[in-house]
Amino acid sequence: MTQQIPLTWFLYFAAASFAIGLMGVLMRRNAIGVLMAIEIMLNAANVNFIAFWRYGTPSASEGPLTGVMMALFVVTIAAAEVAVGVGLILLCYRRWRSADVEEFDGLSG
Amino acid sequence: MPSGLSIQDFVIFSPVIVLTVWGLLSLIIDLTLLAGQDSTTRNRSLGMFTLSGLVASLVLCQYISYKYIGPSPGTDPLIFFGSLNGGVLFNQFASLVILFAVLITCLSMVWNFTSHWGEYYAMLVWSAVSMIILIAAEDLLTLFLALETMTICLYLMTAMEKSKQRSAEAGLKYFVYGSVSSALFLFGLSLIYGLTGSLSISEIGLVLSSTQQPGLTGNVVGAVAVLLILVGFGFKVSAVPFHQWAPDVYEGAPAPVSAWLASGSKLASLVAMVKVMGGGLGSWAATSTPTSPGWVGLLAMIAAATMTYGNFAALGQKNLKRLLAYSSIAHAGYMLVGVIAVGLSTEPEEAAAALFFYLVVYGLTTIAGFALAAWIDRDRGTEEVEDLNGLARRHPYVGVAVCILMLSMIGIPPTAGFFGKLYMFMEALNVGGPDKVTMMGLVALGLFNSVVSAFYYVRILKAMFFRDTQRAELKWMGPEIALPLGLGTVLTLFFGLNSSVLLTDMESVSRSGLHITRRNPDPLDYNKPAPRTTRPSQLKPPEPSKPAEAAKPSGTTKPSAAAKTSAVINAPAKAEGPGSAASAKP
Amino acid sequence: MIQALFIALSGFGLLMALGTVFARNLVHAGLYLVAFFFVVACQFVLLEAEFMAAIQVLIYIGAVAVLLMFGIMLTRNIQGDDTTIVTKQWRLLGLGAFGSVLVVLILGINSHEPWTQLAVRPEFPVDATTKTERGRAILSMTPTVGREMMTRYVVPFELAGLLLTAALVGAVVLAQYDNADEAEALAESAKPSATQS
Repeated sequence: MTQQIPLTWFLYFAAASFAIGLMGVLMRRNAIGVLMAIEIMLNAANVNFIAFWRYGTPSASEGPLTGVMMALFVVTIAAAEVAVGVGLILLCYRRWRSADVEEFDGLSG
Repeated sequence: MPSGLSIQDFVIFSPVIVLTVWGLLSLIIDLTLLAGQDSTTRNRSLGMFTLSGLVASLVLCQYISYKYIGPSPGTDPLIFFGSLNGGVLFNQFASLVILFAVLITCLSMVWNFTSHWGEYYAMLVWSAVSMIILIAAEDLLTLFLALETMTICLYLMTAMEKSKQRSAEAGLKYFVYGSVSSALFLFGLSLIYGLTGSLSISEIGLVLSSTQQPGLTGNVVGAVAVLLILVGFGFKVSAVPFHQWAPDVYEGAPAPVSAWLASGSKLASLVAMVKVMGGGLGSWAATSTPTSPGWVGLLAMIAAATMTYGNFAALGQKNLKRLLAYSSIAHAGYMLVGVIAVGLSTEPEEAAAALFFYLVVYGLTTIAGFALAAWIDRDRGTEEVEDLNGLARRHPYVGVAVCILMLSMIGIPPTAGFFGKLYMFMEALNVGGPDKVTMMGLVALGLFNSVVSAFYYVRILKAMFFRDTQRAELKWMGPEIALPLGLGTVLTLFFGLNSSVLLTDMESVSRSGLHITRRNPDPLDYNKPAPRTTRPSQLKPPEPSKPAEAAKPSGTTKPSAAAKTSAVINAPAKAEGPGSAASAKP
Repeated sequence: MIQALFIALSGFGLLMALGTVFARNLVHAGLYLVAFFFVVACQFVLLEAEFMAAIQVLIYIGAVAVLLMFGIMLTRNIQGDDTTIVTKQWRLLGLGAFGSVLVVLILGINSHEPWTQLAVRPEFPVDATTKTERGRAILSMTPTVGREMMTRYVVPFELAGLLLTAALVGAVVLAQYDNADEAEALAESAKPSATQS
């Protein structure tokens, strides 16, 4: 049997993706770019959930699929969030002719 | 596997089911019966329809409370396989959220800020549904899903005033900040899942308070998880480093939606925060040595910054909704002091009750405040503080009402706001041990901030009573403003004069619905009172040489495991940490 | 062997994530994102969660990425050039956040003993004698997911239905033009109201 992948490798991958997503959120000015970076962060959390699920031994009261179910619902949430996000971006784009977050400065003070 | 569904679960849950269906019906009615009608008619009819549903659901709640739950049954039962609380906590907070929603529906009927009324009322009702589920959620999966459903409905409601540019902008800002913070929150949850092997709040509390766990000292992953979870909640309650969205969104959203954000959303998020931080991560609240604080230390800094920033920023505001937004930030700061008290107190249920009292009173007062904003928005299209000039001379009753409300916001004796602050700060001062000094500092800062806040609340009163205006008089407010304003004022006064009514109620809620865990205070006690700490923590490395062996115990011990499960479901009170079990019983 | 595969895959995935964040052209960023989603799906396969991998491909690549592409096309922001990346201070903040989060997380993961010791995943054999729920869940995930959704996770399942309904209804409301010439009227009014406030 070949050697298995240790749990920490998956965690490193998730941590690195999460950090990249966070960087993207901070550095992107375009709202759709921010949305993409958020998706990367959600995916990182999902990798964590499934890795912990596979490598952990569930306690008695826990279901057999806790981590997977969480990841499944997160996918649902992400889909809904993107739908609403694109709707909002379109709404703002029709008013400013731009999807640039920094130009939306009508409210401040 | 927990025992199956019973019809009782559905009976207890029925107010929520009624509300969900009502939202769908309002969509359908808007598209069929009211097709082609003008916006005002649709607003009126759908508003009345929504009100009828909310009132029906409220009556159902009270009936169920009377018939099935009783006044104080000890420990709340869990429904739907342990994913929801189905007792006093669920019922009381469902009633409260529905009451808030009734007032918001009244405010929504004030003027036509959107033309999508079917969708608007559906979102309002559905966000109420997800707030109730958020409060009742007993596992982090349900909690996160409810949190997301609530915020997505709120993003949509914020952006629905399509005739105004600022509404769309507020919606997008709220969305960007909200979804970033929920992504951070989710990553925190995933780390917590990795550390404890569970998503059930009481299970997490058990694992973390067990003896094998080192606590937060030297636990970098745990610290990161706590930080991320605090970011998530901090955003939802608009605590200071994550507050930037709040003033813009409160100003840009229509007044009823802002009121809903400040009352319902804040109530639900703070109750969920108490459940997660107190119930799940309660044993990480503070460590025994003062040099390595738990989440309490972090939250203390956030609370101090939040109340100070909120109050000082509110001083310079001219827009009434923006002023109320900063005031809401400031109140979030006071409430976080309450959360800290829950984390440290030897009687966490009492502390939580004081916090809930404050939340309810704040919700009622702030809805009434936004009713004022809705009124001037309807008649003048703006909501500056100077639009209130001379209002009290023409409408003396309104003047008196707003006077009571502002006194309550500041925290002056005959009103409920005073008792809210009093109880909460008393609970904070009851904290003993090394954190007493911190709590005294926070309370002192809270009192100082209350004095600062008096300046801007009094400015509203000054405009109403002492300034005169040349502008056209406001029209009579009509019942849809009078009800939230009047009910808010009357209840503020009533709970001020009879504060024990609400406090007893909230105490029964927190006694039976919350299971705050505690770190075992004395290391020598570790082996003594642990009825359930022998449970193996989840992520134990299996024997690498014989992996098949590792699976066997979980297969053979199944009957006893199932028995244990039903014990958890039926008696979550046992889930309390040993520390609180020893000290919290009077 | 499988470790080398993992390293190659993860390296590619992280490169794609970086591409998503840094690409000037948003359509390119979207395509990098699709590749990243695919790598995550591969990770799920490596974790023996093939069902989740399928869901990942179907929903993330099939729906989310396409939706994002529509968003990019409809806002005509294809030529991102410099406007898609913010000023220097934000760039520094982003890099700082990236570095610190990465360092803290990796240090944390390394210092947490129960995780670092988990080099081998627990096995849950499924045969006649030791039929664990967990073993069946790994071997045939789809029926288990269905059963769990109808029992333990019935409230989240219904709530997810509500969430999707709300998102659908809401997205329609937001993207809909209230009347035919609203777009023109708004484009006209956009300039003065933006300067006035």
